[in-house]
Formats: sequence, structure tokens, C-alpha cells
Amino acid sequence: MNTRQAKPQLLSRRDLFQQISAGVGSAALLSLFNEDVFGAGDTLPSVPNHKPRARSVIHLFMNGGPSQMDLLDPKPELDRHHGEDYFERIAGEVEFPDAAGSLMRSPFKFAQHGECGMWVSELMPHLATQVDKIAQIRSLQTTNLTHEPALYKIHSGSEFTGRPSLGAWVSYGLGTENRNLPAYVVLDDPLGLPVNGVDNWKAGYLPPVHQGTRFRATGSPVLNLKPEFSEPDAVRKVERELIAKLDRIHRRDRPARPRLDARIASYELAARMQLAASDALDLNQETAETQRRYGIDQPVTESYGRRCLIARRLVERGVRFVQLFINSQIWDNHSNIGTALKDACDRTDKPTAALLDDLDQRGLLDETLVAWGGEMGRLPIAQLTGDKDPKKAGRDHNRNAINTWFAGGGIAGGFVHGATDDLGFSAVENKVSVPDWHATILHLLGLHHDELFIERNGLKERLTGVSPARVISEILA
Amino acid sequence: MFQKLHIPVIVWMVTANFATLPGVAGGDDASSSPDVFFEDAVASTVKSRCVSCHNARKQEGGVDLSTPAGIVAGGDAGVIVDRERFGESVLLERVVSGEMPPEGEPPLSANQILRFRRWIESGAKFRKPPRQKEISQHDVIPILLLRCTACHGTRRREGGLDLRTRESILKGGKSGPAVVPGNPDESLLLQRIHKEEMPPRRKLVSVSVKPMTASELKTVEVWIQNELPIAKHALADEANQRVKVTDEERGFWSFQPPRAVEVPSHAVTSSNPIDAFVASKLAERGLELVPKPERRTLMRRVGFALHGLPPSPESVDAFVADSSADSFKRLVDQLLGSPRYGERWARHWLDAAGYADSEGAQNEDRIRPHIWRYRDYVIRAFNVDKPYDQFLMEQIAGDELADYSDEDAITPEVYDNLVATGFLRTTPDRTFANITNFVPDRLEVIADEIQVFSSAVLGLTLQCARCHDHKFDPLSQRDYYSLTAIFKDAYDEHDWLKSQGPRTLPHVTTAERTAWKNEVQTIDKKIAALQKQVDTESDADKQAAFKKQIAELNSQKPPEPRIRALWSRGEPSPAYLLRRGNYLTPGELVAPNIPDALAPAGFTYEPLPPKSKQSGTGRRSALARWLTRPDHPLTARVIVNRIWKHHFGRGIVATVDNFGTTGERPSHPELLDWLATEFVRNGWSIKWLHRQILSSATWQQSSLIHHTDDSEDSAVSDDDRTSLLYGSPMRRMEAEVVRDSLLSLSGQLDLTPFGKPDSVTERPDGLVTSVRSKAGWRRSIYVLQRRTKIPTLLENFDSPQMGPNCLQRSESIVAPQALHLLNNGMVHELAGHFAARVVGRVGSDSQKQITEIWRLALSRHPTSEELREGSDSLTRLANHWRQVEGETDASAARKSLASFCHAIMNSAAFLYID
Repeated sequence: MNTRQAKPQLLSRRDLFQQISAGVGSAALLSLFNEDVFGAGDTLPSVPNHKPRARSVIHLFMNGGPSQMDLLDPKPELDRHHGEDYFERIAGEVEFPDAAGSLMRSPFKFAQHGECGMWVSELMPHLATQVDKIAQIRSLQTTNLTHEPALYKIHSGSEFTGRPSLGAWVSYGLGTENRNLPAYVVLDDPLGLPVNGVDNWKAGYLPPVHQGTRFRATGSPVLNLKPEFSEPDAVRKVERELIAKLDRIHRRDRPARPRLDARIASYELAARMQLAASDALDLNQETAETQRRYGIDQPVTESYGRRCLIARRLVERGVRFVQLFINSQIWDNHSNIGTALKDACDRTDKPTAALLDDLDQRGLLDETLVAWGGEMGRLPIAQLTGDKDPKKAGRDHNRNAINTWFAGGGIAGGFVHGATDDLGFSAVENKVSVPDWHATILHLLGLHHDELFIERNGLKERLTGVSPARVISEILA
Repeated sequence: MFQKLHIPVIVWMVTANFATLPGVAGGDDASSSPDVFFEDAVASTVKSRCVSCHNARKQEGGVDLSTPAGIVAGGDAGVIVDRERFGESVLLERVVSGEMPPEGEPPLSANQILRFRRWIESGAKFRKPPRQKEISQHDVIPILLLRCTACHGTRRREGGLDLRTRESILKGGKSGPAVVPGNPDESLLLQRIHKEEMPPRRKLVSVSVKPMTASELKTVEVWIQNELPIAKHALADEANQRVKVTDEERGFWSFQPPRAVEVPSHAVTSSNPIDAFVASKLAERGLELVPKPERRTLMRRVGFALHGLPPSPESVDAFVADSSADSFKRLVDQLLGSPRYGERWARHWLDAAGYADSEGAQNEDRIRPHIWRYRDYVIRAFNVDKPYDQFLMEQIAGDELADYSDEDAITPEVYDNLVATGFLRTTPDRTFANITNFVPDRLEVIADEIQVFSSAVLGLTLQCARCHDHKFDPLSQRDYYSLTAIFKDAYDEHDWLKSQGPRTLPHVTTAERTAWKNEVQTIDKKIAALQKQVDTESDADKQAAFKKQIAELNSQKPPEPRIRALWSRGEPSPAYLLRRGNYLTPGELVAPNIPDALAPAGFTYEPLPPKSKQSGTGRRSALARWLTRPDHPLTARVIVNRIWKHHFGRGIVATVDNFGTTGERPSHPELLDWLATEFVRNGWSIKWLHRQILSSATWQQSSLIHHTDDSEDSAVSDDDRTSLLYGSPMRRMEAEVVRDSLLSLSGQLDLTPFGKPDSVTERPDGLVTSVRSKAGWRRSIYVLQRRTKIPTLLENFDSPQMGPNCLQRSESIVAPQALHLLNNGMVHELAGHFAARVVGRVGSDSQKQITEIWRLALSRHPTSEELREGSDSLTRLANHWRQVEGETDASAARKSLASFCHAIMNSAAFLYID
């Protein structure tokens, strides 16, 4: 059987060294170590379970729960029943019962776009030009209507903290293609962390090397990447040489200790990474035209545009999994949906569309899977503010219908999968679970969700857990 | 109004709503194919191929296929034949996948499998349908517990109504009996639910309750219609003839008590039995114990092992000079007698307990204000060598052991007993807010605590049995829920204490409480005096100044000291097995009990009468009493093995958290049993165990094994070497040891013990560090363990994420470690302090400085080669500062020595322990 027997990391690393430390020259040895110390981990030159359709993933995470019936899933019936009472029917599914109002139509206009004729709200004019590239899923459901558990669920498959994130699993399964950069890079917002903070990209019980590495869009991209004190280069050079000399003496007196070789290699990588990471993040290498397309020249899109462009540069360099976050929860529109949702779209729509277009033009889209979506959806009823002013209404959380899309590597563009009921409260056709969503991403990368596991406590732990998961084959190209 | 809309879409939507709730059928149409009956299609296959394991007596997986009733009843995992969603029928799934019959049995033929499919797809019909299982109070009570008793139960009796028992339902509340037996329509209970008045929709979140589902309502209705039938047996088990655990399963090595073993009469120079066990095994491979290393190496090793700090050069010199026969023994005694020992070893236990200073699970990651007392308790327990059996008793049932009824007479012992229960309050917990305090949220907390308990204390993967019988070990789902029932008087998902505030007790020692009261009183007096002045003062400015002083004084009032504890709440709800671990599908009632496979012959679990006046149930005391029996198969083995692992890098059982059938077998089973039995015989003393291990020639072997081509050693693989205990493993400092040692070297370690944790700060770029006290930085164990803000240095060196606990840390070698030690500002600053300290100790002679740096950081002298290289680098550094940067001699010397010290802090020789 084709099982990816994932042993505890140290053991197999030792085995590996055991085999090679005898005769292989030190250059080859070092190159192996390099991959080992930053990303490839146990699964060095990894063999996927089947032929991959995508080489990299860019996950555009929309924290807060974008409103499906205001963006990509128009509901004419909601217009017809606007103002009617509905709360009693869904009381158990409402976070703030005291603020629950009646059914509320979308304040935004929809139109059909692209050859496929996909419906897109007026809030996303740029995405509207790219709909032939995307497969929209209208029927994703999650298991909890509160942000934190729903975030843990979408990022790690479990509602609780402590499990490895999707990106960590991918890093664990496939490693990196660039030995100077981590396999899993997180581009968080300089304005602040998303809900659940750094938990979103933890490695849980996988080896810590698979944890997402935060790259900052400005300043030093990685923690401690550059010295936090001033020191002449010559002094630094002497000091590094001294460390290297002492380590070699120490190593020489301790034969058959591959961990010491790995440690020496990790110091060498540290030096190289400084260059590689700085280069990947140097947007001055991009033309003014490219920067403009991503909206970097405009204050409202500057920050997200920068991260989208960096994401492209990272996948170009072989980074396996890039995840983009936005500070706080701009999609959590409990009130003033008319303006708040528009603001969220204004910040993200243009850069997102530019990323798809740019990847496509550079021939990268075929091998890059782009995933867009949040951790939950929203309710068809209004959520009212204290003064019950309908103009300030927003929408409360909803775990029963989430709208999300994929584009790129292995995805059939211009496609809509699943459907919600006539008011948009719940998925009713072709429901997709979070494990299904995960399994689909793994599948496109050439991994089978049942065969990507780590033994822990005598259990095979998997991203998709014990519940059966299904690859959403309908959306595959 | 909604009712006016009589259009199909609405019906569709309501269905959709229910369909999303777990456990409610989605309504796939059964196909319209002709009837296929069990008796014709599959009965003979079932009889010949399934019933030998799935009969009334054996019931593998709780499944009895010998009668139609058994097939319909399903197993521990729930229904196995789902007539509505036939595709999800477990029976079909197992047969189609070839999982059943199990490996080793001939598989079913394609034709046989097809008949199973046809039968189930056509609705799983029987010619002689089994009698419907009668709905009893055991089907109804769990529903009422879930939907009603938050307001009509233990703590609240809205309308005078208590819905917890059949009797109290019949008695009813202020509006009369809740039900009319035989008449659902006239039953108040159902009327209120039907009208959607109950549970009140707008109050759902404030009491963390969801409305009853249609199928639940139907169940209650049928029960009332049938005049509230009572199940014949209180516990389903009583009627069940099932054999729970076979003798063969019970005979598994780790379920049997440790055996008294004879020490092998292997000729070794040491009198320590550990060496006899290890050497005789090595001899089988033609190997011998590796000789001891130099005394300095041994000293460094034992210093880090017991204190996690570099030993002082003076203590190393004294040990090297001490040629008496018992010098090592005295060294160990001295190290074990120091408070630094408890600070080092408590950390290992806190990993196992999943200790953290914050709630986690929610974005705000709220601080847990009082849990640090538990951390201090563990440190003190290690320092005074609290016997391990007592240590466990206190942590599992401290509240039941202590009489804490008089708040003003709390002794340190009573305080310790209460604080110790913090062990069961460590896991991530978001139940402090209403919206995240629903029953499933609570069940997650309970599940995590059970996992902490079973992995840390029992070394078993009991959590696997939450949703189904354990796949490999003889641990059933019943065992799991019986164990949770033991904790139910404190962890009751239907009577929940929110995390934070309500989880604390005021019972600190009388001395501490008095001191606190006095402090508050002193401030109150000052405030009262100022208040008088405010009242008599007419000048507005002066009055404002007094008021400001009052506000200032108020802010100085120390907060009330409290304990985060777990205690018996008196009236636990009945415990029901949750099929598939799902709270919406409760199964049979279970009684508190220990896992059957571990029960000694003739053992009956019975709650102990509590010692205190509090209304404890004595359930946890009985659990603790059983755990600490000298013949317990796991308790002593598990802890002995873990301590062994900390000393050797690998346990005698390598899977320290899994002593079950999928765990590894012990590499030295007799040694493990000898250690376990002697540990108990020596009063469960952990310090005894340290002495025994550290004084062995096994532990004292050198880590250097020189391979030569013709040496027989080369036949020994690295892995073998660890499992055979051939030579000592090389160790990398753990996260806390790295940080504490850097601080210690630079003279910046503040040794103030105990108390509130030191806070941490996060820079805009995400780097987390602890805040400096006046005297420096305290040991890492006293730094705030906020789940989302682990100090970056610790995190880089594999300080674990508690999910929910950690029994085996990983040891990674990654670039961020190098980057941190090379580039981080604080490490650089510490290097400067280290250099200044060296100058303070030996003056300005560079040879002496280098030697002193080696003595401080590496507990030895530099070799001539190291001295030469060091000297050369130091000269080059100083020359650069002087000649190129134009520094004065003094400044150049200072700066170059700081760089030199920085290099040592980065060296493998410092971070690795031989």
C-alpha cells in the first residue's frame, strides 16, 4: 500500500545521516542538511501520492466572514421577503438574539460577468474581470458560529487550539523547493494580527520547522534576520569565523553526531537566508506598472497590494504555501454593512484581481492554487444596533453557508459549485465540509488526505481528522 | 408575519435548517426498488460470518448482530444501519471497504456484499420487524439536561420547576405538573415547547442553550404518551451479558502489575542494580558500558540535569579536587537540596499537566490570574520530595482530602490540597463567555482534561475512546464515559462553572489572607481619613487633590488572593455515554468507574466517604486511591519511565505517553519493573529515583564513543545505541535552560522564587520577551506562559504549545535559533554583561579571560588549540576596534571581549551537553 509513513523527525533524520555520513562529500551533505533545517523535514525530496496539479498555494484569508448574499450569491427571494420576520426559525443559529432584526435584502446590485456569466456584486468590480478563472463554492459549511473556533476549524481542521495548520501540513508533506526560504510563509498585516493571532499558522504537534514563518512587508522581514545592534562587518566576520572554528573542533571530537552537522548547517543557512528573504521582499525590482496594477500607488490598496505582489514573488521562488492575512476582522460586518463591506472590498478587490491576472500572464497560475475565503458566512436577517436604525444594520454570523473560491492549479474556471436556499441561510445542494475543502487543496498538491498523517499517541493524526472527507471533484479542471 | 407565507420555499428552508444540525437525517430518498428482506438477503451470511464476534455475549464494538433487535440497536458508535441515509450505514461501510470480516478472515464474496447493499438501500427491512425499543427516562432525561435544566435544575428553578428527574417532572412547578402521563397535548411541558416559548428564544445565548430539535421533541412526546415508562435497569450494563475485556487483553504487559524481578548477577564493578540490567543486555551484543568521562564533564552534565544551569567554576573545582569515594553522591545530594532543583524539574511536570497562564482558545487569550499558585505548588512539591502517591492524590482529589469549611482556618496543608487541583484546570478554555459556553465547548474542556490525565498519569491514549471503543487497546467507550463520570461532580457539562471568576476559591492560607486584609484595612483607614478631609474641605482645588489621593490609594489595594481550583459541587448530573462522541446522541447511562481492563481481580470501584464537611462525592478520592495502589500496573511505571526519559533522552518505553498495544515495548522490561517496584518501596520518592539513576555507571557513561573501522562498535546503529543505553546521549539544552543559562553566565539571573509571573511584552514585529525586574530576569519558569505570547527565544528552542499538554518535546535544529542567538539585541546585551563579569573575575589578561570564559560557560579549561584560536580571534577583534575604528585600548578590549563572549554563547560546545 502506498502509505506515507511519517516517523518522528529525529529518528529518520538520524537514519539518513547514518547512511550518508560515511562516504558522501561534505557539499552534498550540506545541501541535504540545508533542506532539512528549513522545511523539507522528514519528507525530503518528497514523493506526492499522485501527480500534483499545483506546486504552490496562495491562501487569501478573509477573517470575519464575508457576506455571501452581498458578494457572490445573489438572492432575489430575499428582496421579495425583505422586512419579514424570520428570527424564530433560526434562533439557535444567532449569536446576538437581542439584536436580531427581520429579513434584509442586499443593498448592493449584482450583474453577470465573464464568458461564464457569473454573478458578482458591484462591490467587486475587479474580481468581476477574472471570474472565468475562478470556481466559486456556495455551499461550504462549518461547525461553530463563533470566530475563534471557526478560525481554528478552517485553519487546522479542529475547533480547538494546538493542531497543526493547513500550511504546516503542506510543508510537512511536500517541503520546500527553495532551500534558502521556508516552505510556509505568512504575510500578516502590519496593522495587526488576525483573530487567534499566531495560532493560525502554528505547527501544533508537527515538527516546529513546519510552522508558518512571518515575513513582514516592511523593515526586517523575519524576526532577528538582521543584527539589532551596530557592529562593523569585520568584527562580525571574525566572530562568525570563531564560532565556525570552535564548532568544527567540537564536531571533530564527537564523531557520529549528525545533529552537530545539522547545527553547523543551520548557522550557514541563517546567513544565506538574510539575502534570500531580503531579495524576495524587494519590490523595487518590480516595474512601476506592476506596482500600479496591484494598487500599491493608492493608499487604500497599498498594504494588501504589497502583500499580494510579495506572494507572487514568493511562489515564483518556490515557496510552497503563502498565506495572506488582514488585521482584525474587516469582514465581520455586524453593523453598517452598506459601508463596512464596501470598505473591505475596496481594500482587497483590486490587489486580488491583479494577483490572478499577473500569475496568469506569467504562466504561474497553472501551478499555483489561489484560495479565497473566510471562516464563516452571514445571516439573511438584519442585525440591528442599539437604536434599531435599519440604516446601520449589519449581519450576524452564520455557519451554515460560506462562500469561497479557488483559482489556478487544477481548477475549472468560471464554475459555480453548490447552492444555498432561496434566502441564503444555509447550503442545500452539494454541501461542502471544511475537511472536504482541505482534502481538495491537498489533492491538487498531489497529496491524499488519508495518507498525510503523523503518528502521535498511537494515533494517526490527520488534517481532515477521522470524519470522511471528499475531494470536490466537480470543480477540478 | 412569517406564517402568512405559504410558499414552498419556506418548507424547504426549514428542512435545510434542520439538515445542518448533526444527528438529524438529511432525507435521502430510499430508492423505489422492490422490498429486500433481511431474512432472504443477508441472514445466512450474517449468521455464518459475523455472529461469532458480534453476539449477545461478545459484542465486539458493542454490536450484537444475532437478533434483528440487536442490529437495529447498533453499537457503541451509534446506529449501524441508517435507513434514511443508507450511504452512511456503518455496517455497509465496513463490509464494502473490506474492513469486516477483519484481517485474517476470508473476505466476503462480491455477491454477498451486493446483497448487503441491496438490503440496506431498500430500507433495511425485516420480515419479522424487531420490537421498537421502548423509550424510557434514559432517552428523555439527557434531552432535558441539554435543553431545560440550565433554568429548571440544580442551580435555578424558574417557576419552581425542576426537570432533572421523572419524579420532579411529575411534581412540576408553580403552574402545576409539567406533564400529564398519557396525554402529551395537555402536558404543560410540551405546550410551552411547541409554542416556542421554551427555551425562551431571546435568552438562548445568555444561558448557552439551544432549542429542542424535532426528533428530540418527538421522543419526549412518545414518552409522555406511553405514561413515562421507566427502564427496567438503572444501568444498561446490568442487563448486558457482554464480556468486556478478555483474559488475553487483560494479560497485556502494561495492564499487569509490575513483577518482582531478580537483579541479574552480571559481573559489573558497580553495585547499582541498574547497571546489572543494562550491562547484561549489552553483553548479549558483545558490548560493555562505556567508561566515565572526565569529572568536569560529569559535573556539567549533572548540573544541567538537576538545575538546568551551568555549575559555578568553584563548585566544579571543588568536585574535581574531592577524591573521596562518596564525592559524587554528596554532589547529587547537594544539588537535590537546592531550590534550583524544583524549578528545573517542576517544568517537566508542568509540560505533562499542560500548564499555561492564559485561557487560550479565544483571540483575547485572557490571563488566568491565579493559576501560578499551582506552578509554585509543583516547584515546592519537587523540592520537598513530596511522595509521588501523595502528589497525585492531592492533584486529583485535594478538595476531598481537605477540610476547608472554615475560611479563617486554612493551614498550608489545606491550601496545598486545594491549589494542587489546579492540575485539572489547565487546558484551553473558552467557556468564560456565554456564546462560547455551550455544551460542546464544555465537552471539549472535559475531553482535554481527560487527555491530560490519561496521558500524564496513566500513559494511555484513552481519548481515542471518546467517539468509539479504542481501536487497539481494550478501552471501551463505556470506560471513557465512566471515567468522566468520576470527574462529574466538578466537571459537569450541565452544571458548569465558567472559566475565570467562578473557578476560584478564596481559601489561601489564613496567614496570607490576614496579611491581605491588614493591607487593605491600612489603606482603607488612610482613605477614610482623606474622605473626612474631602467632606470638610471647602477649597475646590484642595478637595480635588484629596480625591486624587483617594483614587491613588484605591488603585494600590492589592487584589483579593484566590486559588484557581477544582472542587466537588455536590450534585453531579447522571452520566450518559455519547455515541460517536456527539452530545446530541446520548446513549446508555454509565456509573462512575475505572477502566475495566486495569481493574485488579475482585476490585470494585466505590466512592470514598469524603473527609471534609464539603459536599464531596468521594469519587475522585477513590480514583486517586486506586491509582496509588502499590500494585497499580501503570502509575509507578509511567512516572519512573518519564524521569528516566529526562535523564537519558529516551524512555525505557520510548512512547512515554502510550503504554498501550500500539506503544513501543520496553527496551529493558525487567529494569522498568525493578525501578517501579523499588520506587514504590522507597516511599514513591522521586529524589530516591534521581539518586539511583545518577549514581549508576549507566548514566555516568561517556558520550564519546570513538568509531574505528575495525572496532566492534561500528556494528551498533545510532538507534540501537540509544535503546541499548550504550554510551551517554548528547543533549541539547532545552528552551528554558538556554535562556536561564545565558542569564546566569551574564550575571543577570534574578533568583527570586515564586509568586505572580513576570509579564511579557511584544514588539511591533512580534518578538516577545519577558520584562526585566530590578535585579535582572527571573528563571523562565516564572515568566508568564501566555499561550499566544511565548517568549520568542523559548519558542525558537522548542518550548511546546500545550495541545492540551506535552509529554515529549521536539528538538529541532533550525535557522531561527541561529538567527536569534546571533542577531537578537538582548542576547548581544547579555554578552556584554558576560564580558564585564569575566573582567571582574580575572582582570585584563586575555589568556586568563579566555580560560575563565571556558570555565564559566563550559565548566572546563580550553584545550591548547582552543586557547590558540581564541587568542588569535580576540587579538584580531581588538586590533580592528583600535586600528580601524579608532577606539581607545580600554574600549577596544571591552568590545572585543563582548564579541568573544557572544561567540561562545553561540557555540555548540555551550549549547550541547556531553
